[in-house]
Amino acid sequence: MQVKAPFDLAPDGGLCNGVLLFDGRTLTAAVGENTIFTSPLRSGELCIRTYSGCGTLEITPENPSDDMSDCLAVCRFSMTCVNEIGEFVKVVNHYIRTGAETEISTKDFRVCPKCGRHYAKGLDVCLFCVEKSYLSKRLFGIAKPYAKQFLFASFLVLCATGFSVMLPIINSRIVDKGLSAEAIANATAVHDIIFYTILLGASQIFGQIFKMLSQRRANKISTSLSSSLRTGVYDKVQRLSVSSMSGKTAGDLMKRISRDTETVKNFITEQGMYALEKLVMFVVVFIILCNISPLLTFLVILPIPFVAYAMRKFWIFIHIRYEKQWRRESRANSILHDIVRGIRVVKSFGSEDREIEKFASVSRQLADISVSNEHLWAMTFPFMFFFTGIGEFFVLYIGGRAVINGAMSAGQLLEFTLFLGYLYQPLLWLSFLPRRLGELETSLIKIFEITDEVSDVADCENPIPAQLGGDIVFSDVQFGYKAYEPVLRDINLTVKQGEMIGLVGRSGAGKSTLINLIMRLYDTDTGTITVNGNNIRDMAQGEYREKIGVVFQETFLFSGTVYDNIAYARKTAEQGEVIAAAKAANAHDFIMKLPDGYNTLVGENGLNLSGGERQRISIARAVLRNPEILILDEATSALDPETESSIQDALAKLVKGRTTFAIAHRLATLRNADRLVVIEKGRIAETGSHRELLMQDGIYAKLVMAQRQTAKLTK
Amino acid sequence: MSDGFDSRKISPETLAAEYVHPENCTFATAQNGFLSATINGTLYKRVILSRSLPLNFPDDYICITDADKNELGIIEHISEFPEEQQKAINNELSQRYYCPVVDEIISVKDKMGNFYFDVKIGDFKKSFTVKDISRSIRQMGNSVYLTDIDGNRFKIEDYEKIPPKSRRKIEPYLY
Repeated sequence: MQVKAPFDLAPDGGLCNGVLLFDGRTLTAAVGENTIFTSPLRSGELCIRTYSGCGTLEITPENPSDDMSDCLAVCRFSMTCVNEIGEFVKVVNHYIRTGAETEISTKDFRVCPKCGRHYAKGLDVCLFCVEKSYLSKRLFGIAKPYAKQFLFASFLVLCATGFSVMLPIINSRIVDKGLSAEAIANATAVHDIIFYTILLGASQIFGQIFKMLSQRRANKISTSLSSSLRTGVYDKVQRLSVSSMSGKTAGDLMKRISRDTETVKNFITEQGMYALEKLVMFVVVFIILCNISPLLTFLVILPIPFVAYAMRKFWIFIHIRYEKQWRRESRANSILHDIVRGIRVVKSFGSEDREIEKFASVSRQLADISVSNEHLWAMTFPFMFFFTGIGEFFVLYIGGRAVINGAMSAGQLLEFTLFLGYLYQPLLWLSFLPRRLGELETSLIKIFEITDEVSDVADCENPIPAQLGGDIVFSDVQFGYKAYEPVLRDINLTVKQGEMIGLVGRSGAGKSTLINLIMRLYDTDTGTITVNGNNIRDMAQGEYREKIGVVFQETFLFSGTVYDNIAYARKTAEQGEVIAAAKAANAHDFIMKLPDGYNTLVGENGLNLSGGERQRISIARAVLRNPEILILDEATSALDPETESSIQDALAKLVKGRTTFAIAHRLATLRNADRLVVIEKGRIAETGSHRELLMQDGIYAKLVMAQRQTAKLTK
Repeated sequence: MSDGFDSRKISPETLAAEYVHPENCTFATAQNGFLSATINGTLYKRVILSRSLPLNFPDDYICITDADKNELGIIEHISEFPEEQQKAINNELSQRYYCPVVDEIISVKDKMGNFYFDVKIGDFKKSFTVKDISRSIRQMGNSVYLTDIDGNRFKIEDYEKIPPKSRRKIEPYLY
């Protein structure tokens, strides 16, 4: 047995490169040759305490004193090492408890072998070291299913461009042939002019037709790509585990599904489709120009590298200023959002003037930087354009002289100057490309963080059918949301089929965590949970959860009708079943008083139901689901005692004959439970009936007494 | 403001009963390195200190709790205590708060929406990654706090006083 982990803070608080080592008997912490801690470790456990930006590793003896003063401090570390030390602690504690050796899991702290930086969550590459081609390859992967349509659309764009570049050529022919002295003398001028005018008109009409067709094709690809991207990301969001979801806000996820996918779609359809056109246009026009006059072409191209260099420098400079403007804008929006959301508080404190001043101040700051940036932009860009096109002046002068000297025809000069516009178009497009690429990279990474994330609660390869009608057994269960902070420890419990278990304990004791494990929203770190003799990890999550019913403290109603909200539990339910479920949940009476009965709209754009009414709809959902395991997570805590007692009746009907786990802060709510399980600091502290636990005079008895006293005081 | 309103103002004296002073409280570092305190004659072999206002008043309003996080009292000003005890208090606080001061910003690279900082902390060169930079940078006056993806905090004491080259690197991300 030998496990290692790094730590990075020396006892004096300075940075260091320390190593923790456990060899099965002794724990050592050393910085280079210098051992800063060593102690035998055969009993007790290692424990991590995290603080602000750092943590400490301690040894807790087997039976620690209440004030934990007999612990031993091992070492300090910054949050960079916390996950690695957390895994180290898990392995060492498991070894001390069971004598079994396990491997350190690296899933929470994958480190780049090249630069030593941690990988971003969800990704399997280091964004610092990854090659540029990584994103382009994946972008091609996204666009690949549309490759044929895409190439066809690009071909249509090329055709449209091909017809549009006929304009300078035909104009040149009109000047050189139609308006030539020879043609005028031969009276063929009118004939030629009519011919070229028809040719010009036809080329423009065809150009527009191809443009229209390419636009239609582009819209089709764009809609299809957008829909597929959004659906792909949304699908993955729905399948992410709760632990992955809990690290992301609703706003953040919505942005990834809508805004980031939109940015990628826009880049592929707007930039990608025209990339070919711009490239071909630049090459073709360059060849035509060289063909007309290599000297003039050289003069036109000459300022471009200098302007491109200046543009690049300017972009870096303006990008920093725009970054600042964006941050101020974001701050102003956030303040506005805060004030609007908290308008009732603002008004009730009479602080309107203070808030107006606060917003006015950030608005002023935003206005100042916006004006300054716009000013800079307005002052710089016209010069850039001027210098880009400075070659045109040479063209007019030198080209004009060439026409006078007969080295070039007037038509050729006209053709050359008209083609110049076609040469600048791709260059202008190129100058904006780095900005678009930057936006694309950020959005792609945000999307990949979701789509690449491997769910930490995964289904096994060959799941067994979920048969939940049997005893539920917890064996040596240990779990923590973070590897280094166990929330539940040594949970051993057998729940008989049809038994109602009341989970009791202080806030943060681990009751809801236990419920989360039963629902398999998370997997246990160690130990197993079996239902009917089968490990719940061997069942498909979807099928398993289909047989579990939950009534939460807060009931979320989706926008839709009351009927839809109840039928959400089972989409195939018949009307009669939905009404019967509502009746069983004592919800039917209030529903019938609503203006449209079961068709009444509720949710964000509908009727606002009271807490009790919402809860009855939630119970009706659970009844309709007809679950084998029922979970009541503070189902009546948010209700006043009167409403609660009216709901208790519905709950009693629901609980009958089902294995039930109920959490309630009001202990009286659990009086019907067959057994109470008291959880204290993540461990099962007491189990028994209400009467038995009162007799024990332990934690439960104290909680009951405390609640009785509070109830007396409030009377 | 009217007199009537002032008379209803909560006075800092309201907390007087909670404050501990050198007269009724002494601190010492135990042999195993933990801080112990004797408050009103009761010995607490291990106490934990937490700053109420860690960013702007790190040396005042320090809460004293036991291992179960029950509050035992508040230190109003650390400076009130004898030097030896101040040392013990500060040592305990330094174990709980780690926020190294950045002396120089060597580079800030924006790669695919993540910001890679290379900085100098004393003689040490440190690299860290900041994600979602607008949420990870916090300004308190001229002080700037950066939080990296691991949850570490870094402080720039006064961004106007760091070398101009470093200032230019952080400035775009400040308000």
